[in-house]
Amino acid sequence: MTSQVGQALVLLSLLVCAVGVPVGFGAGYQRSERGLAWSRWLAILFAGLMTAATVVMEWALLRHDFSVSYVANVGSKATPLHITIVSLWSSLEGSILFWGMVLGLFTAAVAILQRRGHEDYLAYTLGTLFAIGLFFSFLIAGPADPFLPTPAPVPTDGAGPNPLLQNHLLMIIHPPMLYLGYVGMSVPFAMAVAALLRGQLGPTWLRPLRNWLLVPTSFLTLGIMLGGWWSYEVLGWGGYWAWDPVENASFLPWLTGIAALHSAVVQQRRGTLKAWTTILILVTFLLTILGTFLTRSGVVNSVHSFTQSPIGPLFLGFLGVCSIAVVLLLALRIDALVSEPSEDAVVSREGMFLLNNLLLVTLMFTVLVGTIFPIIAEAVRGVKVSVGEPYFNRMAVPIFLGLLMLMGIGPALPWGRADSRTVWRAVATPLPAAVVALGIAWVLGARSGYLLFTAGLTGYALWVTAAQALLPARSRVRKGEALPRAVGEALLRSPRRLGAYLVHFGLIVTFAAVAVSSTFQHSVEATLVTGQSMSIDDYVLVLEDVRAVRKPHRVARQATIGIERRGKEVGRLQPALNHYPTMREPIGTPAVRTSLTHDLYLTVQNVGEDGTVGLRAIVTPAVLWIWVGVLIMVGGTVVCLVEPRRRRLPAPTPEVQVA
Amino acid sequence: MSCRFAVALALLLLLSLVVPTSGQTPSGAPQAIVSPESVVGPPQGRALTGEELDRRTEALASIMRCPVCQALSVADSPTTSALAMREEARDLLAAGYTEAQVLQYFETSYGEFILLAPKKKGFNWLVWLAPLLVLLVGGGLVVKRMKGERPSSPSEDDSEAVDDELAEYAEQVRREVSG
Amino acid sequence: MNKKVLLTGSLLSLPVLVFLGISFRFDPRTIDSPLIGKTAPGFALEDLDGNRIDLAALRGKPVLLNFWATWCQPCIVEHPVLQAAARRYADRVHFLGVIYQDENDAILRFLRQRGSWGPSLVDPDVKVGIAYGVYGAPETFFIDSSGIVAEKVTGPLSPGQLDRILGGLL
Repeated sequence: MTSQVGQALVLLSLLVCAVGVPVGFGAGYQRSERGLAWSRWLAILFAGLMTAATVVMEWALLRHDFSVSYVANVGSKATPLHITIVSLWSSLEGSILFWGMVLGLFTAAVAILQRRGHEDYLAYTLGTLFAIGLFFSFLIAGPADPFLPTPAPVPTDGAGPNPLLQNHLLMIIHPPMLYLGYVGMSVPFAMAVAALLRGQLGPTWLRPLRNWLLVPTSFLTLGIMLGGWWSYEVLGWGGYWAWDPVENASFLPWLTGIAALHSAVVQQRRGTLKAWTTILILVTFLLTILGTFLTRSGVVNSVHSFTQSPIGPLFLGFLGVCSIAVVLLLALRIDALVSEPSEDAVVSREGMFLLNNLLLVTLMFTVLVGTIFPIIAEAVRGVKVSVGEPYFNRMAVPIFLGLLMLMGIGPALPWGRADSRTVWRAVATPLPAAVVALGIAWVLGARSGYLLFTAGLTGYALWVTAAQALLPARSRVRKGEALPRAVGEALLRSPRRLGAYLVHFGLIVTFAAVAVSSTFQHSVEATLVTGQSMSIDDYVLVLEDVRAVRKPHRVARQATIGIERRGKEVGRLQPALNHYPTMREPIGTPAVRTSLTHDLYLTVQNVGEDGTVGLRAIVTPAVLWIWVGVLIMVGGTVVCLVEPRRRRLPAPTPEVQVA
Repeated sequence: MSCRFAVALALLLLLSLVVPTSGQTPSGAPQAIVSPESVVGPPQGRALTGEELDRRTEALASIMRCPVCQALSVADSPTTSALAMREEARDLLAAGYTEAQVLQYFETSYGEFILLAPKKKGFNWLVWLAPLLVLLVGGGLVVKRMKGERPSSPSEDDSEAVDDELAEYAEQVRREVSG
Repeated sequence: MNKKVLLTGSLLSLPVLVFLGISFRFDPRTIDSPLIGKTAPGFALEDLDGNRIDLAALRGKPVLLNFWATWCQPCIVEHPVLQAAARRYADRVHFLGVIYQDENDAILRFLRQRGSWGPSLVDPDVKVGIAYGVYGAPETFFIDSSGIVAEKVTGPLSPGQLDRILGGLL
């Protein structure tokens, strides 16, 4: 029964999308008010049906209704409640259903929030979203149907979700954040398609477009960070980023999304780069589909790959159709997006924005080529090759440093064309900050040129970021306002400026923390029997106890380690080694003691028959600041989304029609 | 890398000529289980010990792929296979094999797959050079764009456009005037 | 129609799509052994009874070298296939098993229950496994009578496959 209800809801949403595509595009083409109203209702209906289908699936999961095949695959009565709830996205079919719901909700949100003032674009936007929804509804209705009835006899219990999912709470929020990012990119894509079809991209459409781009980019940031955090807390190798193909796949749209946000700033300020911004947004969407394809098809070897499944080719087909559509649309319509002529020098803020875009796109291309090169090499040479961390670090670190440098120099430079004295003064002012940062790094023990250079750039960028963020408040103070009022007013009047620099600040913190943590990480390994101890830095680690703990679906062999620091007891950690009956290699659960300056990270390498424990202790400085930096970035994005308080200005006149 | 590799090899060859005894290792002893010598030739370096051995083992392990893992290096992976490979690399370094020889040894049995950074040769140059090409072409476009346009107009003072809203308004006015 | 955009867009997107399409034909999990056609790496190992076996001494007849373990389900499936083959090719082919990441006790217990098909060699520190580039178990190497690796099979052998490969070597 549950199966049939779910399937009916999905089929209805397929129908809604199938109707929505012609209605949306038709309304856009004919500029029909009624057509637009219809599209908006269909969007809300699409969201409702998808949400209802997801609720039905959750219901089935919670009731352990094994007559639904997905529940039979991922559910089990022994699974704890919160894991049962999130097992919605623990496997392929459920995650696609979840994807459908998020897409529906995004579509409805656009239909509701962009109601006024954007009639020109909205119908095309919704039409495009329905087209994407059509593909996903089709997947859920057919090839990846989670509601498929289980063939009789219906089992009385199931195997439970993937063990890795049960390991840590972070896994509960990491996938949905990524999905919100991935799916959310459909919205700016659809809006850019609408702009191309309309043949114009003016400031009134650019503003919502930028916000709708900001939201998924921010979710992606959070999703990527949570993924790294999860991998750090769960996988037990002491790192947070392995340049795994699927990690790379989520990084690609993030890079182009960031690039698009920056070129949109130039467009807003200078009226240039319209076509380029549009291209970046379209490419971002294609990269989300590519990323999904890489994750779902199993063509690349990855921690995250779902098993090779029949929907791989379908995703590739969708990617192909979208790519061809995008290329054709661009070729046909891009000349309609006329930019104002540029009048800026290379050494200007616009020039720096262009360099930023150049570096981001180069980095995206590098990661893309590196990720799919094994496939290319196998096709051309017939040999399997690996492209991993050493390659990516070699290629990406210089680009990261370049970006860090731009984050410093770019905002320091004036817009447009300035005489060289002004430029020099702007560039030289923050130099003392660079010197100070370099000195601090030296005192803290940094000796490698690369690290000292990074420190200098960090100091420089921090100074410029702070100065630029405070500029509006300072100019208000200069005009005689009291300081608190000046800061408050500046915040309310230009939240986007402040938000943007907050994001920069977070990113600089993350950059610096990654540089420090990756350079100064060190580890010690030892085999201990109960009562023995090992030491790393000023820690002494005593193995107090090791025992087997029975948990659902696994046996954990848990070591209890007493931690002393400088002769004082500071606590206990309990790293464990989990044995799953279905897997040969045990999976370790590391235990981490986080502090402001460094992390102590313990993993059990092996537990001998005789009770000996192979223990690995890793000390990594500054890890906490990686996550903090990202959270600051996300906070900055939220500030960016605040609507600036309106000053009493004459109402903005409608855009000049150039069509 | 290939250039550095060749230089290192040449140096090591020289070294082994000068100090012929350094080539003698216990690898021929009756306890030997496998004979790396038959795969990569006699050891061409100096036997490492202590802290240097640890460091060089770690460095080697971090550029080799753990064969049973997904994207982890031998250094990062806690699996039995990775641990065994790390031990083997350490034994070989301790026996006087050079890093290049050790990599060659693993590559002979596992294939190029074992190297986390593709060798710089033949078709593999694509993955190393394509990003540079993009950077150069893109850089050219940026410079062309910034240079090719009309010469200067008076620069704007940044503080004029400090408020987002004002900036947008200014932009709109500018558009209307020019359009 | 902007031809430049059309051309650039196609040049950038089509190769990616084509290569991704081709990739379905590959299995990312199996890798051809680079040892095929080369001299099999030499080794000298002791079996569970302490007899020393040197690969070099076995030249003149083909060798079947099977890496296996008791934790590996396909190995257990493969076991009777190898037993039957070892009987059939008894004096024409050397059958060697190498214990891959397993406890000797577990192997002994298993062999007592199911019988063996050849010596089970103990591979301390997986050195031979590494020399042969073994990813997992079971993996089987076929070495011809002159000591060259002729073929490698990943996963359990079927009787037909075994006969075909050994037939080619004899």
